[in-house]
Amino acid sequence: MLCERCKIREANIQYTEVINGVRTEHNFCAQCAREMDFGQYSAIFDGEFPLAQLLSGLLGGEVPAQKKDHLKQIVCPTCGTTYEEFVNNSCFGCADCYGVFDLLIQDNIRQLQGSDSHKGKRPVYRSAPEPDLEAGEEDGISQGREDSPEAQIRMWDRKLKEALRMEEYETAAVCRDKIRELKGGDQADA
Amino acid sequence: MLKWFEQPEQESGNIVCSKVRLARNWSEYVFPSRLSQEQSKELLSKLGEGLKDLGDLDGRDYESAYLSDLTELDRRALQERRILNSSILEKKSPMSLLITREEDISLVLNGMDHIRIQVLLPGLRLAEALKTADQIDDYVNARFDYAFDEKYGYLTSFPTNMGTGMRATAMVHLPSLSMGKKFPAMLNDMGRFGVSIRGVYGEGRENYGALYEISNQKTLGRTEKELTDLVNKVAIQLNDQENQVREMSLKRHRLEREDEVYKSYGVMKYARRLTMKDAMTFLSQLMSGVCDGLVKLEEPCPVFRLMLGIQTANLQKLSDRPLGKEELDMARAAYLRSELPGIF
Ligand SMILES: [Zn+2]
Ligand SMILES: [Zn+2]
Repeated sequence: MLCERCKIREANIQYTEVINGVRTEHNFCAQCAREMDFGQYSAIFDGEFPLAQLLSGLLGGEVPAQKKDHLKQIVCPTCGTTYEEFVNNSCFGCADCYGVFDLLIQDNIRQLQGSDSHKGKRPVYRSAPEPDLEAGEEDGISQGREDSPEAQIRMWDRKLKEALRMEEYETAAVCRDKIRELKGGDQADA
Repeated sequence: MLKWFEQPEQESGNIVCSKVRLARNWSEYVFPSRLSQEQSKELLSKLGEGLKDLGDLDGRDYESAYLSDLTELDRRALQERRILNSSILEKKSPMSLLITREEDISLVLNGMDHIRIQVLLPGLRLAEALKTADQIDDYVNARFDYAFDEKYGYLTSFPTNMGTGMRATAMVHLPSLSMGKKFPAMLNDMGRFGVSIRGVYGEGRENYGALYEISNQKTLGRTEKELTDLVNKVAIQLNDQENQVREMSLKRHRLEREDEVYKSYGVMKYARRLTMKDAMTFLSQLMSGVCDGLVKLEEPCPVFRLMLGIQTANLQKLSDRPLGKEELDMARAAYLRSELPGIF
């Protein structure tokens, strides 16, 4: 196959780009690949920014094999996004994914975004933060009580994050199972 | 009702339009990629119900539609007019669109995020676009609690949007600057300033019409104002550089420039067949000719409107049957013959 940039030399570098979950494959020769800034090249494609691809590249590359096996077990209890799906699609499945994959992505986020903390607008209206026993909201979304499944899920979720932080993957797996169990029994209003 | 790009009172400069887009998610649901068809429908009906009086906020008329109720051609035409992006067109699950008749304000629901608010204005008016988007954002937020994190800001499907969830974009016409040898290197360099530039129309690596979009690359760790100011600054700089090159060429080669502009006009006025590439090139010539005062249009008409008019989906929509490639080139020429205003 010829290089798609110069159309002269043989392409020996394959570059996979994921934009908003859509994969595109490109083939370049070594010389063109060296001359190109991939981030910029892909910016001419339509859709979102391709930095997401960078993220999965970074994540995919640097993790040692035995650790990778542990990582592979990580699944977001809320939406079911697995570590592998996350790495391949560079896409969060839900708000809780941020907590679940937080430790894995911190450094990469900093690299990707040049920062790791938000500055700027905050929501004007916010529902009560987690540990509170706030009664229902205007449109009937109840926050739940201390012993409600929701509260328990939050508790296990905190334990899960802590376990991941300590790299205690077995504990994390237990927490995850608990959360799943609780979610499973509560599917009617999920 | 004129759409934003049809409004005649626009000044004819190099900066075609400004766009601000905010990505938001409702804390009650997982993100769109993880929603089942049923959940997507449920989400859409709740969002639709909550936002049905959005017009009360600004006295504007919003139309709403499920994207699946529009024809493929309508969706592609919306993409040409910068309302939908290509990832949305490829997405299969239920989505809906709230849009003003002028098409300056639009909300895509359950696209890549639950709610994406977009404000699109002619000229360089990013601060104004941000202000409008911000008001709509608060209106939505009063009804739907957002997924927000103290550290990561607004939580979005893609890590490239987290933080402010904001993308500010300015579309700039750079016909002379983009001819320069250093232009590709300059585009690459822009990454260092935290902005990204890409061609708007074209095929492969070839750009048609010399229109470029400048956007903030990063979304985390800087305020909305800092990000829009950055895009604003780069847009002004590129605009100034473009004008410098053009002034120089006008001084040295005025006759050649006039000749190019009038020839482009003449071809568009009489041609029977025009490829996309040729038509975009001629319109680009006309755009800079109007901007530099080399020609005056009899009736005020933003040249960008004509550029949108000759895009494929729009031409297909104007025709009563599907057009082949040759027929499209004929339809494009016919469109320009009838829409091109007189000059003096
Ligand atoms: Zn090559
Ligand atoms: Zn998740």
